[in-house]
Amino acid sequence: MHCRKTVSIWHIPSRMFCLWLAVAFFMSPAWLWGQAEWTPPKSDRLVNDYSHVLSDGQRSQLEQRLVDFNDSTSNQIVVVITPTLHHDDINAVGQRIGQQWGVGQSEWNNGLVIIIKSKTEDEPDGEVAIATGYGLEGALPDIFCRRIIDDEMIPHLAEGDYYEAIDAALDVILPVAAGEYSYSQYVKDGRRSALITLLIALLLIGVPLFFFIRYARKHGGDHWFTGTGGPFIGGFGGGTGHGGFGGGSFGGGGFGGFGGGSFGGGGASGRF
Amino acid sequence: MVFVYLCICNLYTSFIMKKSLVILLGVIGVVVLLFLWGVSVNNRLVTHDEAVSKAWSQVENVYQRRADLIPQLVNTVKGAANFEKSTFTEVVEARAKATSVNIDANNLSEQNVAAFQKAQDNLTSALGRALTVTVERYPELAATQAFRDLQTQLEGTENRIAVERRNFNEAVNAYNTTIRRFPTSLLAGMLGFDKKGYFTASEGADKPVQVEFDF
Repeated sequence: MHCRKTVSIWHIPSRMFCLWLAVAFFMSPAWLWGQAEWTPPKSDRLVNDYSHVLSDGQRSQLEQRLVDFNDSTSNQIVVVITPTLHHDDINAVGQRIGQQWGVGQSEWNNGLVIIIKSKTEDEPDGEVAIATGYGLEGALPDIFCRRIIDDEMIPHLAEGDYYEAIDAALDVILPVAAGEYSYSQYVKDGRRSALITLLIALLLIGVPLFFFIRYARKHGGDHWFTGTGGPFIGGFGGGTGHGGFGGGSFGGGGFGGFGGGSFGGGGASGRF
Repeated sequence: MVFVYLCICNLYTSFIMKKSLVILLGVIGVVVLLFLWGVSVNNRLVTHDEAVSKAWSQVENVYQRRADLIPQLVNTVKGAANFEKSTFTEVVEARAKATSVNIDANNLSEQNVAAFQKAQDNLTSALGRALTVTVERYPELAATQAFRDLQTQLEGTENRIAVERRNFNEAVNAYNTTIRRFPTSLLAGMLGFDKKGYFTASEGADKPVQVEFDF
């Protein structure tokens, strides 16, 4: 960055180069557009309380609810509570969080961002916005988002009850968002759990049989089945596809990461 | 072609066959390489060009969406008692002007994009002013659900416009950077790939216009 003040032959070119760099920087489109583009860094959680207005219990309760929702429907809902928007528009920040974090699955763009700018001493205006991914714009039109904000969230937010505001909004959003995607997800889940069921069935039947045969061989008599264990195992395993195990209880912990959904600016906002 | 043919004839008859052959093969090799390079440059530019066209159609979509909402808005406010129609005269005129500026996706020069932006930005500010006046002078109209719904839709449209404008600028940035980088720049002009225009940050263009009010 600094140009060395030497009398070498490189002196003039290096100054030219610095000048050129400066010109290139100021002519770059990012500067031309003049946008103060602040987006919080990508998180690995669904509930992000940068204002510390939720208790740990409330935070993990909301997180669990959203993780469960993600697991059962693949819809991803992110909650961000921030003390500042860096003077940017709350809808724009919400859209950028959705787009840059990749909230929702890339196939369906079924992501949603609830962003709340909490009231602080420096910035006493409270703001709230819901940003919908492309795929949820149909299930949750802007007008609907506005009603959720006005009727469900702002009454609670005005009282400073952030948890209730989010919880009440989710009560409305979750069933609506689920309606649009539950079928395709159901089909996908069904196929996966059938495979898992088959594997479990193989293990449950095959392993004891294996040990039984080993035991039988060791303790030996000349029983009829000792020589033909292999084929029998295969035969049994193949016949027990519908064991009724599975149940999809896999991955109960955290959510599996963002899916790369896109956001086009849908949603609404309000003030409190 | 004739030259190449003559060279080949020459090769067979000439005594210094080996040397010419080496030179000829070298020339042919360079020509083939140049041709392949040209093809790859062309294809890359076409990809970028298509991305810009796609982004432009999205920009047009969202602006069209706004243009479609305005008649609804005018109808809603017209129904209200003692409403002065002149409040929305400017909006209707600006809308007519904005919808008349249609730009071919193949000719997104800087002047064309600037003209489009100017017409649309005029509509943005006319709309903002008219809505402000409506809310100030006709509070009972502004409080109706129909009006608030329209406001929400307009706000959502402005947000979408902001997003699509940014996407368009990013696509144009990728395209312009490619055509101006050496050595692609040598070919870009010959192949007819010209620089495209950006949306610039005029007053208020970096943020969606606030068409939302506290009651």
